[in-house]
Amino acid sequence: MTSSNSFAERLTRIFREVFDNDAIIVRPDMTSADIEGWDSLSHINLLYAIEKEFGIVFTIGEAGGALRNVGELCALIEKKTAARR
Amino acid sequence: MGHDAEVDLDYQRLLKAARRLDLPASAPRVRLALLADCAVQQLAQLLTGLLGRAGVRAEIYEGAFDAIELESCAAGSELYRFAPDAVIVLNSAQALRAAHSGSEPRFAAQRLQRILAVWEAIEAHSQAIILQSTFAVPPDSLYGNYDLGVPTSLHATVLELNAAIAAAARERARVRLHDVESVASWVGRRQFFDERDWDLWKAPCALEHLPRLARNMADVVLALRGRVVKCVVTDLDNTLWGGVIGDDGLEGIALSAHGGGAGESFRRLQRFLKQLNQRGILLAVCSKNDEATALAPFLQHPDMVLRREDIAVFIANWEDKARGLRRIQAALNIGLDSIVFLDDNPFERNLVRELLPEVIVPELPEDPANIVTLLSELNLFETAYMSDEDRQRAVLYQREALRREAAAGCASVQEYLRSLDMQARLARFDGFHLPRIAQLMQRSNQFNLCSRRLSEAQCAALSEDPACLPLYVSLSDRFGDHGLISVVVLERSAETLLIRDWLMSCRVLGRGVEQLLMNHVVARAAELGAARVIGEYVPTPKNAMVRHFFAQFGFTCSAPGANQWVLEVAAYRPAETFIRVVDSSVTLSEREVF
Repeated sequence: MTSSNSFAERLTRIFREVFDNDAIIVRPDMTSADIEGWDSLSHINLLYAIEKEFGIVFTIGEAGGALRNVGELCALIEKKTAARR
Repeated sequence: MGHDAEVDLDYQRLLKAARRLDLPASAPRVRLALLADCAVQQLAQLLTGLLGRAGVRAEIYEGAFDAIELESCAAGSELYRFAPDAVIVLNSAQALRAAHSGSEPRFAAQRLQRILAVWEAIEAHSQAIILQSTFAVPPDSLYGNYDLGVPTSLHATVLELNAAIAAAARERARVRLHDVESVASWVGRRQFFDERDWDLWKAPCALEHLPRLARNMADVVLALRGRVVKCVVTDLDNTLWGGVIGDDGLEGIALSAHGGGAGESFRRLQRFLKQLNQRGILLAVCSKNDEATALAPFLQHPDMVLRREDIAVFIANWEDKARGLRRIQAALNIGLDSIVFLDDNPFERNLVRELLPEVIVPELPEDPANIVTLLSELNLFETAYMSDEDRQRAVLYQREALRREAAAGCASVQEYLRSLDMQARLARFDGFHLPRIAQLMQRSNQFNLCSRRLSEAQCAALSEDPACLPLYVSLSDRFGDHGLISVVVLERSAETLLIRDWLMSCRVLGRGVEQLLMNHVVARAAELGAARVIGEYVPTPKNAMVRHFFAQFGFTCSAPGANQWVLEVAAYRPAETFIRVVDSSVTLSEREVF
């Protein structure tokens, strides 16, 4: 239970679903250049899927702000989920 | 097909369906153009997925952002080169809000004029159907309850515009509404509007609800293409009333008009079904019961809303329900995919889904109080046309039952046909009949040789075409009027007369209408000096009924396995018919044509 629902695995599952690619394994240093199809359109779908999965809502600043890599995205999600608790 | 709103409208699932379209090469196509003052990329993908799920391949033109007027007004624009079957015009409430100052008294009128100008441009430059959005009422409130007291408030403006758009659309054959406001108020405007996503990327609504918005559009498109529900088949015990009539008896079933409770829920469902019936959707019963027991409430219960005469086919026996549904389908001559099956019992629902996957089987809520809401939520009864035939359909089917009784008393088919005293009217397309002609063009699946789905505008264009002879046939007999039931489009081409379309309502199968028409067609050909009549049979999954149509009249196939059929006019022997032609207006008006 815990292992299949670890943070990284939940995120990997979302990435695989959104980018329709079961080979994706998310790493903190990943950027949009590392994943085929990660464009502004699919980024919207990614944020939506993350919001649903983690029960959070990004502010306009967060959703529109520049994230340098997946690590920063993870940090943001963790900050939001922690604030909710 | 199972129907479950939650699953059917999942955003990610639909996007995936759009990416992995599993459609045969022969799948029907529809060309849609999206013109909007909001972002439409996601919407286009969802539409592709939804239409794909319905077996239709969507080819979508995404107009440039906020260029509705620009693209629609230029005759040679990319939009018109795309040749859309339908143009979806999506004017968002958010863009309206941005332009709304609240101090301009003519604001709503001016906006309406701009929308009408777009319609007129599309009508002038293409044959496309126009799907116009309505405006969702934005959550912004400047005056609170006083909003509607101020004619220029945003809320009042939106209501005024929606009413004006609806009124204008009613007057136009080629405009249909795509009712965004109904979607927004269904989910609640607080949920529907996502201001962050509007500000960030001009999303028309929250992503969560975009599938519902897309489904509303897809449903109109599918209805325009003829996907309509023609019959609701309902179970009885615990579906149409509470309890089991065989155990609880007439007084024991929950159906009371007084004292509240579940009886009210079942009566509301019955009222809903009754109104569907009055709108032209047939009702049938399929119940595991003894027939006399099952009939008793319809005949004797004072609180039943539905009566025996509202039910076109009544099946109560102990056979499995798939068999019952097949019998209903055969009796009414409609496609299985135009039947909705209501049953409270999951076993029966699953059995039907398993054995007759085309039948629409909604997953009913446990609580009977919620059935009507669920049926509305699934939007099963979308329609693109309302003709007089629709309003009279229930009566037409009742007459049909009388005819069947008469037939049973006749010794031979010929004797029966003669006894019907049938009269036909053959005439060229005219403006008065165009809505029904287009409807028949869209809806006829079985007796349809070429299955060209011409719109009302295209039918109107045919009647203007001097090389064309577009005919319709109406039929009546001693039991009443069948209305307009067949359409044949002929085209003169050198020494031949081409049959471009030939279709007929299955309501009048076996009456000899096609024999009468073929006699007429060949006589026309002879008059025009055409040596040959050429026809084509284009196979679809549903029109196997007419695969031998041409052979039956002595046409020969151009090559083994080919679909083109040729008849030498000189070799034709007129078929026997029992129908009198009472109107010869064709012969008169068509002289000028050829």
